[in-house]
Amino acid sequence: MNPLLRLDSVYKSYGDEEVLRGVSLDMEVGDVEVVVGPSGSGKSTLLRCVNRLTEIDDGDIYLDGDRVTAPDTDVNELRRDVGMVFQDFNLFAHKTALGNVTLGLRRVRGMGKVEAREKAMEHLDQVGLGDQADSYPAELSGGQKQRVGIARALAMDPKLILFDEPTSALDPELIGEVTEVMRDLASGGMTMLVVTHEMTFAREAASTMTFLDQGEIVERGPPEQLFDRSERKRTREFLSRITARHGDAQP
Amino acid sequence: MSETATRSRTGIFRSLSPGQVVTAAAGILFWGWLAVRLLNDWGVVDAGAAPDEPFVDPAGLPEWIPEWVAFAVEFLPQMASGVYLTVVLTVAGITFGFVLAVPLSIARVYGTTSSYLSLAFTELIRGTPLLVQLFVLYYGIGLTSFLGGLPGVGQGWVPDEAVWVAIVGFTINSAAYQAEYIRSALISVEESQLTAARAIGLSKLDGIRYVVLPQGLRYAIPGWTNELVYLIKYSSLAAFITVPELFHQAQDISSNNFRYTAVFTLAGVLYLALVISAAKLMETVERRTSIPGVGRIKGRQ
Repeated sequence: MNPLLRLDSVYKSYGDEEVLRGVSLDMEVGDVEVVVGPSGSGKSTLLRCVNRLTEIDDGDIYLDGDRVTAPDTDVNELRRDVGMVFQDFNLFAHKTALGNVTLGLRRVRGMGKVEAREKAMEHLDQVGLGDQADSYPAELSGGQKQRVGIARALAMDPKLILFDEPTSALDPELIGEVTEVMRDLASGGMTMLVVTHEMTFAREAASTMTFLDQGEIVERGPPEQLFDRSERKRTREFLSRITARHGDAQP
Repeated sequence: MSETATRSRTGIFRSLSPGQVVTAAAGILFWGWLAVRLLNDWGVVDAGAAPDEPFVDPAGLPEWIPEWVAFAVEFLPQMASGVYLTVVLTVAGITFGFVLAVPLSIARVYGTTSSYLSLAFTELIRGTPLLVQLFVLYYGIGLTSFLGGLPGVGQGWVPDEAVWVAIVGFTINSAAYQAEYIRSALISVEESQLTAARAIGLSKLDGIRYVVLPQGLRYAIPGWTNELVYLIKYSSLAAFITVPELFHQAQDISSNNFRYTAVFTLAGVLYLALVISAAKLMETVERRTSIPGVGRIKGRQ
């Protein structure tokens, strides 16, 4: 069987700077892949290549067996299947929480008003924000905004959701509510590709962890391996540094 | 939400300042008079005066009433028909101009070749005097005889060709200025908004339509108010292509009685009434369409 997502030696440069240097990885349905690495290591670029917000220079990306990097791929169709959650939430500022979720259902999926509303409410409830449906982004806390962002991605029934440092813009006390929702998703079987510095989440929810440095995968394996028995010095150094800064990863 | 915003919604009479009461009263007086005057002159309602005749005889006013009031009473009916055309030109110019300005500004911000075309149009129009544009349209290119030849033009309710030429001119001119206002509003919408729209599978055009424009147009309202105010005053240039709007009527009256100060002061007061009304209207639009976090209304973050 095909993996759900396959990256096959993906290269990407911005000018002279090589951001991704031959990254390959496979993800199966239900996998939670956590990508960690120093800033500038190409993590966000990697995510943006998957839904083609960024175009790669070389290599191939397959979703469910379809080559998404093919020139004739309909990117809008691809993005229906690949949800994205942003570091800065990027909620539609002029739409209520509910409106943020229904926009894609109405204009991309072509749902009727009532149906879209019902489905959107389901997903707002799922992230615990049913009571904030009529609030505008400016009236929500950071954690609430990000949960709306997750509901917005979920509502499209994606095959895969990309999380681009979903808690990095949050005050520490608000991180928990977002990782909790993400953990629920993970245990519900959602396939997730997550870039994060939340090591507790990585240790507890990741099925596979990837350490990316200077555009290359240094090490990839179960989180315990990277945290506890890594044989690579770079991995160990990075993880001990990040753990000291971003909270204890001990179970 | 600020306290003022809450109050003005719940207890409108309690919260009005004396200044607002005066403005509102003046507004009601002005628009009430204009409506009754025009409907009377058009024969729609009978308000007790012959068309273009004052409601009260200026010669029969009591002696303690200042002379300039009698003067105003005498010439206001003729001014009213000018005000009507001024309003028609302004409303048509801003509306049709807006319809053109939206695609122009989108082309400018998001287009490639179309961006240069839009820029060229905008620079051409903003770089030449409106009066020159009106003269080209009216005297130059045969538009006048074409429009005049259309069935119905100049008959009954349909204004004659000069008015249509002026509307075309103001539409083109206003489109260029509005496109600039909307362009700068569009680029003030964060780029990440369109990224998010694209990420859920909206096409670029749909993303602009459903996400960028609704925010950008709200940002554009202050600039838009400016344009409306300018257009009211610039519409006086239509007088030079024979449109009998407010300025034209004032010229007409003053050339008969040589009382330039009185006549143009009266015209100025009427323009002022239009401008203040427009500003108040746009203020209301801005308030009604405001969304927390979008636009510039104070006290709403």
